[in-house]
Amino acid sequence: MFLYESNVLVGFLLKAFAALFFSGIVTIPFLSARIKPIASVSIVFIIALLTSVLAIIGLKEGGIEYPVSGGSFFGEIPLRIDGLSAWFILIINFTSITGALYGAGYLKSTRENLSLITFHWILYIIFHASMLIVTMVQNGMAFIVAWEIMSLSSFMLVLFDYTNPKVLKAGINYLVQMHISVVLLTMAFIWVYFKTGSFDFKKIELFFGTNVNTWLFLIFFAGFGLKAGFLGFHTWLPLAHPAAPSHISGVMSGVIVKLGIYGIFRIITFLKADYLVIGESIITLSLLTGLYGIMNAAIHRDFKKMLAYCTIENIGIIGIGTGLGLIGIAKGQSMLIFLGFGGALLHVLNHSLFKSLLFFSAGSVYRQTHTRDMDKLGGLIKSMPETAGLFLIGSIAIGGIPPLNGFISEFLIYCGILKGISAAGIAQITLMIITFAAMSIIGGISILTFTKTFGTVFLGSPRQKLTSEPAEVSFLMLFPQYLIVLLMIVIAFFPGYFVNILGMILTVKIFPNTGISAPDLSGYLAVLRNISLASFIFVLLISLVFIIRWVVMRGSASKLSATWGCGYTAPDSRMQYTGKSFSKSFGKTFNFVLIEKKRYEEIEREDTFPETRKYQSFYLDLFEHKIINPVILIVTRFINAFQFVQNGKIQAYVIYGIVFILTIFIGTILNFWH
Amino acid sequence: MLSIILILFSSIFFAGFILRTKSIASGRKGPGIMQPVKDVIRLFKKGTIYSETTSIIFRIGPVIYFSSVLMACMVIPFGPYKGIVSFDGDFVFFAYILALGKFFSIISAMDTGSSFEGMGASREALFSMFAEPAFFILIGSFALLTGNTSFFDIFSTLHLGSSITYTLGGLAAFVLVMIAMIENSRMPVDDPKTHLELTMIHEVMVLDNSGFDLGLILTAGYLKFAMYGAIIADFFIGGLSVSFALPLFLFIQLLFAVTVGLIESFMARFRMNHNPQFILALSSVSFLIFLGVLLVLEKFL
Repeated sequence: MFLYESNVLVGFLLKAFAALFFSGIVTIPFLSARIKPIASVSIVFIIALLTSVLAIIGLKEGGIEYPVSGGSFFGEIPLRIDGLSAWFILIINFTSITGALYGAGYLKSTRENLSLITFHWILYIIFHASMLIVTMVQNGMAFIVAWEIMSLSSFMLVLFDYTNPKVLKAGINYLVQMHISVVLLTMAFIWVYFKTGSFDFKKIELFFGTNVNTWLFLIFFAGFGLKAGFLGFHTWLPLAHPAAPSHISGVMSGVIVKLGIYGIFRIITFLKADYLVIGESIITLSLLTGLYGIMNAAIHRDFKKMLAYCTIENIGIIGIGTGLGLIGIAKGQSMLIFLGFGGALLHVLNHSLFKSLLFFSAGSVYRQTHTRDMDKLGGLIKSMPETAGLFLIGSIAIGGIPPLNGFISEFLIYCGILKGISAAGIAQITLMIITFAAMSIIGGISILTFTKTFGTVFLGSPRQKLTSEPAEVSFLMLFPQYLIVLLMIVIAFFPGYFVNILGMILTVKIFPNTGISAPDLSGYLAVLRNISLASFIFVLLISLVFIIRWVVMRGSASKLSATWGCGYTAPDSRMQYTGKSFSKSFGKTFNFVLIEKKRYEEIEREDTFPETRKYQSFYLDLFEHKIINPVILIVTRFINAFQFVQNGKIQAYVIYGIVFILTIFIGTILNFWH
Repeated sequence: MLSIILILFSSIFFAGFILRTKSIASGRKGPGIMQPVKDVIRLFKKGTIYSETTSIIFRIGPVIYFSSVLMACMVIPFGPYKGIVSFDGDFVFFAYILALGKFFSIISAMDTGSSFEGMGASREALFSMFAEPAFFILIGSFALLTGNTSFFDIFSTLHLGSSITYTLGGLAAFVLVMIAMIENSRMPVDDPKTHLELTMIHEVMVLDNSGFDLGLILTAGYLKFAMYGAIIADFFIGGLSVSFALPLFLFIQLLFAVTVGLIESFMARFRMNHNPQFILALSSVSFLIFLGVLLVLEKFL
């Protein structure tokens, strides 16, 4: 099946990757403070280069298989790089490189001590490498180890600002949730092991061939869904993302969350039956995920929290595409498979680009102003014009608005829905039309969210006096963002190239159980050419109107004056509309999902001369506060009932030991265990 | 190509007809049909005043808003003629390119730092978000009915099946008229002639625009009306030949303008917090169309 089995070049590349990785980790502590970031970025870059070559070989040849001996514990670990892995490897590499470059600039101005920085860079390299390995290994046990290393290294990267108790709390929340994910995945792999006697991923296919598909898929989905942040599994995202330094949030949101999607895709390639029910369930869950994510994003004032919720929304969109693809397999429609899976995979790439761009530019704002509360900012476009422009580009792209790349992938998914609508079954048609409407609402709310954020942070005049005057960030921080924008524009105007790659990935070779020949892409390639043409026409149109405007306005007078105050003569910058007020009516309309809490003291009757008082209003996460926290409370109460066991008396502990030994002893004699 | 010329042509008279209908309804003689166009031309010649708070966004906003509406017009077909841009799923492009214009009009209102304009921007974002699903369910249903996904194919194959599609077309026309009213910030949702900034939506967003930019914004509004009129007309024109289609198109545009004028004359603006309910009710009308389509297709057992 695989052409490049134990190829010399592949072996060399993999060995070089390993050698560079270990030597990098060992040498970084001994370098001087100035060289450290340069060395780390170059190591990340070279590792990315090596693995990208592997990915491209894998993509071109349809797959690489390279077995590595894992000793007596793991047995043989197969490293397989097929199109799916390759796609994710390339995404990981691009975002990790831009993240490292941005991070080098971001950490430059920090006054943290040197050992912390050293630790940070080592972890970054481990983090990058572990993500790559996750996409390559196909042995359950080794996969879990790589997955765990990835989770732990990202956990420690989140804790960069470990002295802040809020950061610690967010980090520990992340750590716990990621371990629930690991437990679920381990369960799933062990189940497969007991049924088939092997940890090799190929055996999952064997399992699905002989057992009911839904239950194992459900466990896998829950395990990977925790990482991806589907609804109900999402509560770590809005805590961890704001806590982490911005380049880490960018990489986490851009890539690590997508590895959950990778896992789900990987399991889908092994599925044998129950496509329809799984597909429809995924669409329903994703729909709710998307709506819930963007509704929460619309109301938060902390712009990094807003971006984290927005990631949840995009996972919903990716999930909708994935579900469509599964329905396509069930119905035997190769075009629907392509539009669903292809749209989802392209959206994975697109989201990794604009979300990291947004996190980086938001990080620049945080670096210069030291606040994440958008209602304290305003008018930053004047002091940070480039960052403002980059954030604007990201905002437009993330709304799926043409002429940028977000539109292309959302368009493919829309087309998938339209294909699915004409398929069959009233239940399915209704699901499709609801999905269709929900996607449009998501788009609408995302415009509200990003006009609010961009308008509040960058436009108008400053709402508060900041401790230091903000200035544009260094070129080192801007450069990676321009790189991202460049790639975004390439995808937006030349989507055909990427769609062809997706066609290479979505083959029977990688999705063997679809049993469907590759769809004829020429129709959609023509449509995409039309879209790029329309985008070009649009750009031309804008320039034309600008030229006309310039010509007409050349002669007429233009002057500056104060903003029209509607007759009020002493307007103040505090009177501007804030982000909170912008989304207030939205929040009120959806108050059954968005819980607003207020904290204030009533003015009492006897308060003749009221003193300065505080009024606070904030939003809570419905799931966290209405479902997860009450459950945790009940569980804690139940467990607390057993506190008498842990009483600190040595005598009692000795008795526990004796009881345990006796139970084992008597049990063995009476043959209880068989 | 013909469709864009027709839309441009009808947009010249559209606002004039609305004004004239309103004047007649209130027993006045009213200004001439060409008055709104003359106003715009006068604005184009005038100088501009910019707020000191504003940045480049305020200057590019109106241009992008206008271009996006013009681009959206290019997608609309006319009877047997395709729009300049036409492909499968082009109505998604249509909706999203309009969204780009809205994005820029909202942020350029935020750019002035005025509390009133921020308020208008917030309302515009909220209400247009609510109107979004009505349009998508509507066109999605017709895509399901005809099995096609581009404006041109949907409209040209719409009436080949059965006559019940005319009923659906009527309902669709109602939804589209209402969407047009929301998108143009007209009567039951917004009152362009109100005297108080607190009760405005669109008008308050453009308080600080003047001269050429204001002219562009007004022109974009007229274009939007003609654009929705063209979509409504397309629902009934279908595959008719040009000699029938052309008078029908102009008649429907005229009828649409008169309807808008009558609505404006005889309805009062809703209370601001009733708007979401009203707009969401539109989505349920769209859903009715969807159920009608299911009936036609005999999907119910």
